[in-house]
Amino acid sequence: MSAALGPKLVEVSDLSLAYLHEDRPLQVLFGVTFSIAPGEVLGLVGESGCGKSTVAYQLLGYRPPSARVLSGSVRLSGVDLLTLSRAELDRLRGNRIALIPQNPASALSPGMRVGRQVAEVLTAHRRASGGSAPKARAAELFEAVGLPEPRRIGRRYPHELSGGQQQRVAIAMALACGPDLLVLDEPTTGLDVTTQQQIVALLAELRRRKRMAMLYVTHDLGLLAQIADRVGVMYAGRMVEVAPTGILFSQPRHPYTRGLIASIPQIRPGERLGKRLRGLLQRDELPPGCPFQPRCDFAEAACAAELQVLEEAAPGHEVACRRWRALAPPAAVPATLRAEPTEAAPLTPLLALDSLVVTYRAAGSVFAKPVAAVRGVTLAIERGETLALVGESGSGKSTVARAISGLLRPSAGQIRFGGEPLAGLLRHRPRELRRIIQYVFQNPDASLNPRMRVGSILARPLEVFFDAAGADLRGRIARALDDVRLDESYAERYPDQLSGGERQRVAIARAVVAKPALLLCDEVLSALDVSVQANILDLLKRLRAEHHLSMLFISHDLAVVREIADRIAVLFRGELCQVGPSRVVFQAPMHPYTHALLMAAPSGPAAIARPVEAGEPGPLRPASGQGCPYAGRCAWQAGAICEREPPPWLEAGNGNRIRCHLSLSELEARALWRAEPRQVEGAIRPAEGRATP
Amino acid sequence: MTLSAAPGLTQARLPSWRRILRRAPVSFHIGAAILIVHAAVAVLGPWLAPYGISQMGTGIPLSGMSWAHPFGVDQLGRDIFSRVIHGSHIVLLLALSGTGLGVAIGSVIGLLSGYVGGWIDNIVQRLLEAVISIPFLVLALLAIAAAGPQLAGSPLLVVLVVALVYAPRVARMARAAAIEIATRDFVTVARLRGEGAWSVMRREILPNASSVLLVEFALRAGYAPVLIGSLGFLGFGMRPPTPEWGLMMAENRALIIISPITVIGPGLALASLVVGLNLFTDGLARLIGRTAPRNQA
Repeated sequence: MSAALGPKLVEVSDLSLAYLHEDRPLQVLFGVTFSIAPGEVLGLVGESGCGKSTVAYQLLGYRPPSARVLSGSVRLSGVDLLTLSRAELDRLRGNRIALIPQNPASALSPGMRVGRQVAEVLTAHRRASGGSAPKARAAELFEAVGLPEPRRIGRRYPHELSGGQQQRVAIAMALACGPDLLVLDEPTTGLDVTTQQQIVALLAELRRRKRMAMLYVTHDLGLLAQIADRVGVMYAGRMVEVAPTGILFSQPRHPYTRGLIASIPQIRPGERLGKRLRGLLQRDELPPGCPFQPRCDFAEAACAAELQVLEEAAPGHEVACRRWRALAPPAAVPATLRAEPTEAAPLTPLLALDSLVVTYRAAGSVFAKPVAAVRGVTLAIERGETLALVGESGSGKSTVARAISGLLRPSAGQIRFGGEPLAGLLRHRPRELRRIIQYVFQNPDASLNPRMRVGSILARPLEVFFDAAGADLRGRIARALDDVRLDESYAERYPDQLSGGERQRVAIARAVVAKPALLLCDEVLSALDVSVQANILDLLKRLRAEHHLSMLFISHDLAVVREIADRIAVLFRGELCQVGPSRVVFQAPMHPYTHALLMAAPSGPAAIARPVEAGEPGPLRPASGQGCPYAGRCAWQAGAICEREPPPWLEAGNGNRIRCHLSLSELEARALWRAEPRQVEGAIRPAEGRATP
Repeated sequence: MTLSAAPGLTQARLPSWRRILRRAPVSFHIGAAILIVHAAVAVLGPWLAPYGISQMGTGIPLSGMSWAHPFGVDQLGRDIFSRVIHGSHIVLLLALSGTGLGVAIGSVIGLLSGYVGGWIDNIVQRLLEAVISIPFLVLALLAIAAAGPQLAGSPLLVVLVVALVYAPRVARMARAAAIEIATRDFVTVARLRGEGAWSVMRREILPNASSVLLVEFALRAGYAPVLIGSLGFLGFGMRPPTPEWGLMMAENRALIIISPITVIGPGLALASLVVGLNLFTDGLARLIGRTAPRNQA
């Protein structure tokens, strides 16, 4: 590892920092020490609130007014950034250090053309001046980051670009002055999987070409496997483990790191490595010693008293755990196919969609042509079954759920519930039907009324559906809270007094108290931390079993879907591509789009070496309703027939149905993805090894 | 070194209202102080005033400012200062109840219209715009003319007129708030339960619009004394000898050259009330903006 030797570009030593929070100091960093060599990528990972973003912003010399540095230094090529004046920092920022923000939509100025925004960075640092020089340089940068039509795109405003393109502009801006250090703060969190993969591929390529050092902050450990040389794991403001990426995944030493790795949902069948994280970071109840002690499976009483410091476990591998010697690295679990119950003979399905079509009319115009968000979807959900609906954002997943719930009226086709046709409009459905189909939304911040106590939130469905009142109502609320493993006292709290995971539990409880038969889960995990996701997933599985629920589980995350779904339906631009039992969908033959999705998913240690197109996908064809919806983006396109004729459904056996013009044998031959699980270590490649062709 | 670890350093948390007050901007405190003085005068008026409401012969008419008569004496020999104090509760009560009624009616119309949307919203909005397009004084005079002579000079009419002027303006604000809140998922959840518009508005939307409506109330209340005073001045509000400030200014306006303080006195009272209400509102709006739930970083 080049990381261990040579001069350091960045040296952070013993950095401690506190925020003044309501007149009370709250320390968020405790003696954080690390370094980055020139051209090295250091990943910083941890749950939200662990202080990783705070560390990242110190590398830019940025502190909110309420922050106080208690000790330590942050040196860039030997200069302590914490002692520089504002003017000196201004000369460094954007020039030698650049930031790629989490949300490009808010980082770009909405009223300025993107070309000018990039040119502004250049002129501010006197890297280009005069009439057309900055603009020409901006166009070069746009080309370097793979934006289409680099000369023309500079004329666009940020809102005219997609999320992925906006992030590319932000990257171009960061690269403008050829910085030595890029600070990336969750740069792909807001993007969908395929776009995320393209951005990561772009970053890896840029790094190879320009030899820039990076600090990559993320909560997604799987992502770091693809780009980082070394990974630092943070917990409660302390660095608990630092190791080269490959070593960290194969031989995690710190119990927290192990928990993080085990919490990554796996696409590949097989057991998880060790146990997932339990509990949550509770800042108020940290012991004086190891902050992880309350959640640690290996903790001893002494851990709570004794402060842990980083010590070298192996060259380049530091860990802050007094028990690391006693803990054997977890053995790679032999991956075996999970035994799944064979499907029962089909009865009347609980819910059946028959050639469902939902169209939207573009807002504000009576004459605008209606746009079909979902076209000809035929699906069934059996009793007790969990069907996952998978696809990228904008593929119509939520539209299907909204049509089932009655929020949107189907323009054509039929929805049958228990064999009976379901009224299209909510107000035409009887109370019983409204009760029996319940909806859980993606973001609990938005789905819980911030001005209602949890008790009142849970009371509403009970009052509306069961006319519950008095002691009966209170008893049911307490049971509902217990059902989602929350304490009875939570009934008195307001949603903003709960953590994200707790809020989602309340939202789930609100749906389950209605005693539904069908639960529509719309991206219920995507707003949550990885470790919380695992907990909520377990909760859903348990509730499903206890309450005999059928579920429509909507997600863009194939790894999560693999864990919970009995069957999977893949949706692309409003049309189904493939439907099949989940253990079969992940095996060849598969639809080219399913294949692309699988290849794009970051699946942590199991990520495999592959060439990924770094460019933005070509423009989507107008949805004429003819031909295959995937034509134009498909890598395996059979020819002109794809654009002219709708593809036929192919039966691939085991209930697996694929809609494609290619034959099954052709599909099977092209799939790079193999269902046979490999040894976990075998799958890990150091990022550099992959970058070189 | 570790600040949070040392329990002695961490301050005990103050009760929530005291913490909120400490964060309030200066204008909030000044405005609140002015309003407290006005409220005290309104309540204690009869005991504070040196002379009675309509007591005549308290001094030489039009004798100007003096220690005995800070706001002078009017043509009938009444002490203006005493009359301003006696009138305080009338102005405050009329302003607050008129504004309260206007905000209540406007909120219901606006929230429902914003939540229901569609053509109902369209019609309601056009009607409101039509009403708003009439200058408020003209609208008030039209309403008084329409009400006829039986109600003329009654406090109820003044309250209704203030409400009529404010309700459409409040409704537009309420509608804007409702449209924003109606897009949130918890409203969708309530719709999925099959709850009607009234129930959704009352339980889900109103509590979340309350801060907007509170500011709206305070803002409108700040202008209500001016509106009531204008009506009184024009002779369409309260009737003499009610010590309503606008009416007093009208009564004495002919004498403004001889004894200007008889007009300026009630005017000062009105101005200080309006300034107090506005400072308070401004501070309140900023306080609510700052105490609104912040995003967790």
